[in-house]
Amino acid sequence: MNFDFSYTVDAMPWLLKGALVTAQVSLLCFVLSLALGTLLTIIRTLEISLINAIIALYVSFIRGTPVLIQIFLAYYGLPVIGIQLDAFTAGIVAVTLNSGAFTTEILRGGLKAVPNSQLEAANSLGLKRSIVWRKVVLPQVYLTSIPPLVNEFTLVVKATALLSVITVVELFRTAQQLFSSHYHVVEVLIGTAAIYFVFCFVFSRVSVVIEQRFAVRRP
Amino acid sequence: MDLDFSILVEHREVLINGFKLTIFIVICSIFLGMVLGAILAIGRMSQRLYLRVPAVTIVEFIRNTPFIIQAFLFYHGLLALGGALPEVLVGILALALYSSAYYAEILRAGILAVPHGQSQSARAVGMSYFQSLRNVVFPQMWPIALPPMASQTMSLVKESSILSTITVWELTLSAQSVQGITFRPFELFFLIAILYWGTNESIAFGIRRLEKLLQKRQSRRVSKEASGRAEYVT
Repeated sequence: MNFDFSYTVDAMPWLLKGALVTAQVSLLCFVLSLALGTLLTIIRTLEISLINAIIALYVSFIRGTPVLIQIFLAYYGLPVIGIQLDAFTAGIVAVTLNSGAFTTEILRGGLKAVPNSQLEAANSLGLKRSIVWRKVVLPQVYLTSIPPLVNEFTLVVKATALLSVITVVELFRTAQQLFSSHYHVVEVLIGTAAIYFVFCFVFSRVSVVIEQRFAVRRP
Repeated sequence: MDLDFSILVEHREVLINGFKLTIFIVICSIFLGMVLGAILAIGRMSQRLYLRVPAVTIVEFIRNTPFIIQAFLFYHGLLALGGALPEVLVGILALALYSSAYYAEILRAGILAVPHGQSQSARAVGMSYFQSLRNVVFPQMWPIALPPMASQTMSLVKESSILSTITVWELTLSAQSVQGITFRPFELFFLIAILYWGTNESIAFGIRRLEKLLQKRQSRRVSKEASGRAEYVT
């Protein structure tokens, strides 16, 4: 069989439209997961053993099970226990909960890198707890966590491709709709893969640049 | 809320077969992926451009695109080229190729973490490139490479669920087919989530044991060598 790459070119406008949805969904999930991860990291420092055990179980469950199954559970499983979500929301919830577990672990690592003397200094100045977190600890945690967080973002972008299975019309679903009409699967998929590649590759390069720039600011 | 877990017992045969196939696919892909990964890692570190460029291209392409796209591309690419392989084989090859890129990066990082003087001295005493890798570099890089190897293997187990979209009858597709008959998504997906979780926890446990074993053996060997040397000196 011959490949006809004019199909790749023809598909591009639609694929780019799908890519916009992928970008929006990824960004939304990532921001939400960063918020979730920050919240859980702060809660974890309170050292309430029951809550910490629950967080540990949540992280372990997410890390041990496929995203695909988590998406299925959110979309097909939750209605059974009375929570009905449309495909888009269920997808956002699943990917956010998935990424949130990884972000929590990343931020835990970043928190370890903050020297204890910083906390002692902040406390001895009589700063309020919320101020200590907002102005002293979290900025340093985020700064040291930039490379793994960017890596996590590319993982989120790749995970959103799975939302196609629950009929969210993002990049991959758009591609499927295109090739199911004319069966030039490979040509369309190459265009799709190229868009994902550019998106993820640019971000991972940016992270390297950021890392080098901020390396100066780190002691 | 009404949950009925008896359907799991009723359809256990399909589910057990799916789980067996998942385990089979995972084991094959781990071995194949590691071999391919080692080749890619050595290719990527080669001085020769015609080895390095393809290795870098493959690794970066795989790392920066979703596995579901790779699986589809692999499956439909083979079909279009006229090579109709059994789905299971396509699944194993796709998964092995996917994980090989990640294994390659881990191996490369491990090899680079061993001080360059080590391999240079090995070459200086007359070892070939592969001898120095096997006898000098590999034994020293395991403590560095093993933990990321473990987490990559766990994500291989997870990604194997995506093979359900290219009609490989592994655990996820088996569960989907049973759900098509019983309309019990929660029970089914919860069960297979537990199965994947259990598999991954077992891998994590196994690797931790292996790590301890290697550490013990390493320290024993070092102490034996040290005592041997002491005898020689006296």
